[in-house]
Amino acid sequence: MSDTLAAPLPGQSDRVVQVESLSKKYGDNVAVNGISFNLTKGEVFAFLGPNGAGKTTTVEILECLRNPTGGRALVLGYDVSKRSDQAEIRKRIGVLPQDFNAIDRLTVRENIDYFGAMFKQQLDADKLIELVDLKDKRDAQFKTLSGGLKQRVGLAVSLVNDPAVVFLDEPTTGLDPRARRDVWGVIERLKGQGKTVFLTTHYMDEAEYLADIVSIIDHGQIIATGTPDELIDTHGGKKTLIIRDAGQEGISQLPPGLPKAELRNAGDIAIPLNNGELTSILMSLAQTPLHDKEIEVRRPTLDDVFLNLTGRRVSEEGN
Amino acid sequence: MRSRIYTIIRGHFKSWYRSKSNIFWTIAFPLLLIVLFGAIFGSGSTKFDLYLQNQDLSGNVPTPLSQGYVNALNQTGAFNIHMVAAEQPDPLTFVKNDAQLHNRGQRLLVVPLGFNATVMSGKTATIQLFMDQSDQVSASLRGIVNSVTVSYAATIAGAPDNLVVQPVGIVTRNVRYIDFFIPGVIGMTLLTTGVFGAVNTNGRYRELKIIKKLATTPLSKIEWILGMVGYQMILATISLVVILFFGYAIFGVTVTIDIYTVGLVVAAALLFPGIGMVLANFVKEAESADAAANAITFPMMFLAGTFWPRETLPDIMKIIANFMPLTYVNDGLRDALIYAQPAQALTNTIIALGLAAFFIVLGSLLMNWKEE
Repeated sequence: MSDTLAAPLPGQSDRVVQVESLSKKYGDNVAVNGISFNLTKGEVFAFLGPNGAGKTTTVEILECLRNPTGGRALVLGYDVSKRSDQAEIRKRIGVLPQDFNAIDRLTVRENIDYFGAMFKQQLDADKLIELVDLKDKRDAQFKTLSGGLKQRVGLAVSLVNDPAVVFLDEPTTGLDPRARRDVWGVIERLKGQGKTVFLTTHYMDEAEYLADIVSIIDHGQIIATGTPDELIDTHGGKKTLIIRDAGQEGISQLPPGLPKAELRNAGDIAIPLNNGELTSILMSLAQTPLHDKEIEVRRPTLDDVFLNLTGRRVSEEGN
Repeated sequence: MRSRIYTIIRGHFKSWYRSKSNIFWTIAFPLLLIVLFGAIFGSGSTKFDLYLQNQDLSGNVPTPLSQGYVNALNQTGAFNIHMVAAEQPDPLTFVKNDAQLHNRGQRLLVVPLGFNATVMSGKTATIQLFMDQSDQVSASLRGIVNSVTVSYAATIAGAPDNLVVQPVGIVTRNVRYIDFFIPGVIGMTLLTTGVFGAVNTNGRYRELKIIKKLATTPLSKIEWILGMVGYQMILATISLVVILFFGYAIFGVTVTIDIYTVGLVVAAALLFPGIGMVLANFVKEAESADAAANAITFPMMFLAGTFWPRETLPDIMKIIANFMPLTYVNDGLRDALIYAQPAQALTNTIIALGLAAFFIVLGSLLMNWKEE
């Protein structure tokens, strides 16, 4: 057990979550392998990684659902391994478990009241319904809602005790693109209200769009942490110039002296860009038959960051 | 803590009454069974039912005089005579159970061993007639039996006064099949709502991550279980009231509600959800747990004397029935509600409460509230 974590007085620190050398083993299987990170008040923190990377195990340790086998984790200054502290943590956190469903035959409002009653103090259900934009469905039974609406009920339920930190475990998995956007909208509103959010996701775009800080986890270990921009700048590789629909013929029409170009899926030409090269490349292209093609500059994404760090894409692992 | 338990009870209850299938299985199905079984087994007869045991056999064949007497009774056309095997050691108990099952009057005439020889030797043979003096038909039935006996005696040369009918009073409640059946239906309903209710809330709620979510709140496992048991008690009370009211309204079944009835309902509301929780923890998938619940409840329903007295079962089944918790709930409910036998009701209530404590504690210990 490490003693380097200075435990602040509960509720008196900006450090909402402090994790140091945290491990979790199931027999010989190491699910979480000595990870460390911090989450500061008001931040949206994304824990990003493929399925089976250790995200849910970590978040469930922080939610006091699992006991760590090594290291230390403090939530709001309370130790997740101490029974007496766990009670304090449970009062103060909001949780949306992965694949959560509320109670089928209770209405949206009744579900919020149901989970709210588990806490001494609860927020007004109607205000929460407004926050997640479900006013029209207030009296609809949960089972009648679509996947996206159900997830918004889950979000409302996770906020019912006005938590100091909200843990959202894969909140948009299985949702269609529009429903995902709606859920993102709610999370953005939480961010606007200054809520501290701990988000696990295997969607790179989700982390990039929502998070202030991203930690990438793979095989139980954190492989990079930073703001999305920092991660992309450090690990994302070069920007790429894309010439749309140029085809094989376009490659032969490229002016000499350019970095090595490659042809991508739909006949697009991709040219890696070094800093300061964009203007000169554009000027040389203007002299070729490619001058009337659609041209864009693509910035690397967190997907590229993950690829560069692990040699794999998250999507290659069935996610 | 009280408010959390209350919220859980209310949540379960709302989920229950908003589901048509729940209402069907908890209320409509038991009532349907009562009507069906009541109609099938409830029809009476205008003749007097009379059980008859002829103990006077010679080499497994009734002696001539005893057989003649039976024939004489038969020829009156006044009786539906149901023979009881001569080797039946406890004919009264047999008659009690069989009469109940077939909705017959409990009356037994015993022709004693040595009847033939006694009459032939000129001595007086005594035939015993067991019946309840409060039986509405007791006077007329006794009259017919007496006159048949006297005229039969007259046909035997030299022995006109040698036959005496000795009436023996027995106390019967003249329990009809439907009286027997109603407590069984209550037991069955408590069994199914309890086992399936617990399988559903602990299996399905686990799959839906509701339990995981609750485990991240200040709610404790014990509060969750108390909430579920509280809900089961309400459901059990509703079942009891509805079934008893229906039994009274349609079949005129009157019952005695006492402290044992309350004790048994409490026991059932702990016992059957306890069994359901044990199942839900051994069979993790909600669907398989449902199948396991069916596999447990159905045999129990049939063997524990819900539909028929256990005495009619083969011996091996009787032994198995002794290990079924429902047996004690059914027996206790019958002792308390119908037979008004507090001593036996107490024994069954104590056994049911003991089993309830065992299963609810085992279920609670097995239940994973946190992950691991």
